[in-house]
Amino acid sequence: MIRLQRVSTVGPWIVVAARVLSVAAALLVGGAAFAVAGYDVPMLAGSVVRGSFDSLFGLEDLGLLFSPLILTGLAAAVALRIGLWNIGGEGQFYAGAIAATLTGLNLHGPTPVMLPLLALAGFAGGAAWVLVPALARAFLAIDEIITTLLLNFVAVLLVNYLCTGPLRDPAQAVTSASARIPYELPPLLDDLHWGLGGSVALVSVMAVLFARTRWGYEVRLSGANRHAARYAGIPVRRRLIQVLLLSGGLAGVAGMLEVVGTVHRLQGGISNNYGYLGIMVAVLAGGVPFAVLPAALLMAVILNAGTVLQAYGVSNYEVLALTGLVLLFTAMGERIAYYRLSRPMRA
Amino acid sequence: MSGAVVELVGITKSFPGLIANDAIDLDLRPGEIHALLGENGAGKSTLMNVLTGIYQPDAGRIFMQGVPVRFASPKDAVAAGIGMVHQHFKLIRAFTVAENVHLGWQDTPFRTSAGLLEGRTRALAERFGLAVRPEARVEDLSAGEQQRVEILRVLARGARVLILDEPTAVLTPGEAAALVRALRGFVALGYAVIFISHKLDEVLEVADRITVLRAGRKVATLPAAECDQARLATLMVGRELGAGQRHSAGKRQLGPIVLQLAGVSANDERGVQALADVDLAVRGGEIVGVAGVAGNGQRELSEVLTGLRPVTEGQVRIGGQIMHHANPAEFLAAGIGHIPEDRLRSGLAPSMNVTDNAVMREYSRPPVTRGGLFSPGAAMTLARHIVADAQVLVPNMRAPVRNLSGGNQQRLVARREMRVAGQALVAVYPTRGLDIGAIDTMLRSIAEMRDRGVGVLLVSEELDELLGIADRVAVLFQGRIMGVFPTAEAEPERIGLLMGGRAEAA
Repeated sequence: MIRLQRVSTVGPWIVVAARVLSVAAALLVGGAAFAVAGYDVPMLAGSVVRGSFDSLFGLEDLGLLFSPLILTGLAAAVALRIGLWNIGGEGQFYAGAIAATLTGLNLHGPTPVMLPLLALAGFAGGAAWVLVPALARAFLAIDEIITTLLLNFVAVLLVNYLCTGPLRDPAQAVTSASARIPYELPPLLDDLHWGLGGSVALVSVMAVLFARTRWGYEVRLSGANRHAARYAGIPVRRRLIQVLLLSGGLAGVAGMLEVVGTVHRLQGGISNNYGYLGIMVAVLAGGVPFAVLPAALLMAVILNAGTVLQAYGVSNYEVLALTGLVLLFTAMGERIAYYRLSRPMRA
Repeated sequence: MSGAVVELVGITKSFPGLIANDAIDLDLRPGEIHALLGENGAGKSTLMNVLTGIYQPDAGRIFMQGVPVRFASPKDAVAAGIGMVHQHFKLIRAFTVAENVHLGWQDTPFRTSAGLLEGRTRALAERFGLAVRPEARVEDLSAGEQQRVEILRVLARGARVLILDEPTAVLTPGEAAALVRALRGFVALGYAVIFISHKLDEVLEVADRITVLRAGRKVATLPAAECDQARLATLMVGRELGAGQRHSAGKRQLGPIVLQLAGVSANDERGVQALADVDLAVRGGEIVGVAGVAGNGQRELSEVLTGLRPVTEGQVRIGGQIMHHANPAEFLAAGIGHIPEDRLRSGLAPSMNVTDNAVMREYSRPPVTRGGLFSPGAAMTLARHIVADAQVLVPNMRAPVRNLSGGNQQRLVARREMRVAGQALVAVYPTRGLDIGAIDTMLRSIAEMRDRGVGVLLVSEELDELLGIADRVAVLFQGRIMGVFPTAEAEPERIGLLMGGRAEAA
C-alpha cells in the first residue's frame, strides 16, 4: 500500500520544481476552463505566445508590464523578509507617482539631475505613505495588513481628486489627467524605457543588502524570530520601521517610473493593480529578491495575455482569474512539496 | 515470540544524512515496565514515533501478540492499543478534565452534559486508580495532575501499551511515587509500559528491564536487577564517567563584583510584580546558584540581568557600571552571556540555519561584519568553530536549527553564550533536556568559566546539581530572595523549606 508521508525538510530544487509544476497545473486547469467555455485553447495559447514573444512590439509591451511588477513584487518581498505583509503597494505606488509628478511639474533642471531627483521623490512618496502603518505596527502592534490595505483606497481617491482638481490639465478635454511631465527616461527600445534596467538593478541591490550586510542579517533574524532577535541585541522595532519604509519606497519608485517613463502624466488607474499583483509576485518568489524576476515575468506574461486575448473576445476578468489560480496552486504546491509517497512496513 | 505484547524487529529509519534507528529489536513482555534509556539523539524518540505510527520505518516489522501489524498513521496505533503520554502535555487548558478525557474519542456519547462526562470520567478514574477531579479546569491543575489526566485519556481508549516520555521530569517526589504505583497497577493487568528517562536511579528503581540505545543502535537489554548506575552510564555514553564528580574547585581568589542587583523590582508580562526588592551580587570566579520552584521569578531575574526586562525599581550594575536601560546589546557589549530558559523561543531562530544561529551574538563585529558588510564566509567559519567546540552533530551548516535534537540545540546555545560571557554568564536551566553525559560536559564547562574568573549565575531546578557546583546558593520564592548561603552551609532540607516559602526561624 502506498501512503503519503510528511517530511520536515526538502531540498531547494524540490521547492523550485513544486513552483514550476504548480504554475503549469494552474495554466492547465485554466486552459480546461477556457475549453469548456468554448474557446479554441491551443489557438489562443499560440497567439498569446506569438503576441508576447514573436514581435518587438509584443516584447516591449511585456517589458512595460514587467518593470513595475518587479518593483511592487520586490516591495512586498522585502516586507516578507521581516515577517510583515505590506498590502499597501497599490497606495504607495500612487503616492510615489504623485510625489514624482509634483516634483516634475514644479522643479526645473537638466534631465540627468532631474531623473534621480524624481526617483528620490517617488521613493519618499511611497515611504511616506507607509509611515503611519509602520509606526502603528512598531509601537502599538496594530496589524499592518489592515492599515496598509485601507490606505490604498485613500491613495486612489487622492489621485482622482488631484487629476480632476488642482493638477488637471485644461488642455485635456476628455480624460482627467495632469499636464505632461517634461522629463523622460532614456529608451531601451522604442517604447521600452530604462526603468526595466533600474528595476533589475534594484533587485540586485536588495539581494546584496539582505545577504551581505549586517542590517540584512538583523532583518532576517528579526523576521525569523522576534524574541531571539531582541535577545541577540537587535533593535527590532527600528528594523520593522526601516523595512516597511524601504518596502513602501520601492513601490513608490514603481509609481514614479510609470508616470515618468510610460504614461508621462498622473492619471487615475495607472497602477493597473500592480500593487496587488506585486503581493502575488512576492509570494511566488517566496520572498527571495532574485526569485522576484521570474515571478514578475510570469505575471507580466499573464497580464499581456489579457491584452492579446481581448482581441478574441476574452474578457480581462477571465485572464485575471488565471492569476488567482496560479496563486492558489502555488500555495498548495508549497505544502504538497513536503509530502512524499512511501510504502510502509516492508521488511 | 507470541508472548510479547509488542515486538519490534529490525526497525530501521533514516533521515537525510542520519540513520536514526539502525536495525533495532525490542520486545515488551506482559506485566513489565520497560525502560528505554539513551542520550539525546540516541534514537529513542524516532523509535517511539515508529511504534505510535507517526513515522513509517524504512525496514523492520512490528508484531502485537505475535501478529504482524502496520501502523500507517497514529490512528492505527491507537486502535491497536498503543498510547503515548508526551513530555509536553497535549491538553486543552481551558477545558475541564472530563472534557479533555472525552475530546476526540469515539466512545463519547452523542448527547452529553457536563454531569454525564464527569460521571464517566469518575468511573474511569476509579477503574484505573488515577485520582483526578473531573470538574476541574486543566489550567488550574498541577503538572502531576495534568499528567494523570493524560494517562487517563490514553488508558480510556483501551491502551495495552503505555509509552511515557520522561514522565517524572515535571513531578514532585511524592507525585512520582504515586505515578509508579499507578503504573504497577496497570501492568499487573498483563499490559506493558515503556518508560523513557534520563535518570539512572529512577530507571533502576522503576523498571523491570532496561533497553539502552546509543547512536541509533540497541546496545543492550538487561534485567534491572542485574544493572547498576555505573554500568548503565557506561552503556549509554560508551565511556566511563567519573563517579559522583564534583566541579567545585578549592580555594580561589574571588574577583570584583561583576553582576549586581540593588533593591530591584520588576514586573512580568501581565504587569504583575514578579521580583520584589532583590539584592544579589555575583563576583568574578564564583558560581551563585538560584534555587526555587519554577515560576517564582527565575525568568524575570535572568531577563533583568541580561537587559531583556526593565526594572521598576532599583539598579542593575555590570562590572560596577550602572545599566540605565534594558538594552540587550549594551549588556552583551558589557560581557554578559545568557543561556535562556526557553531556547527555541528566545535563544534560537528555529527556521534559520545553523550558521546564522551560531553567530547570533557575534555577528556585528569582525570578522563576521566589517564596515557594515556581513561576510557569509566568515560567519560560516566562525559557526563551524563554535559547532566543533560545542560538540554539536550537524548534518550540514545550512540545515535549519530546528532539525537538531534538543540536546544539540542546548549545547550550541551554551557554547555561543560562553564565548561572549567575558564578565558573567547567566545560565537558566542549562542542563534541562540533556542526558547524563551531556550534563557532565555542560557543568564542567560552566566550572571552567568560573575558573577563568567569570561570574556565573546558575538557575536550576536540580538541587543536587546546584549544591554540587555552586559556591553560594540563593533561594527565590515569589520574587523575593529568601536567603543566600555558602554551599557548605546549605543543607537540602533548609533550602527545601525556604523554596516552599518558610522563612528562617530567627
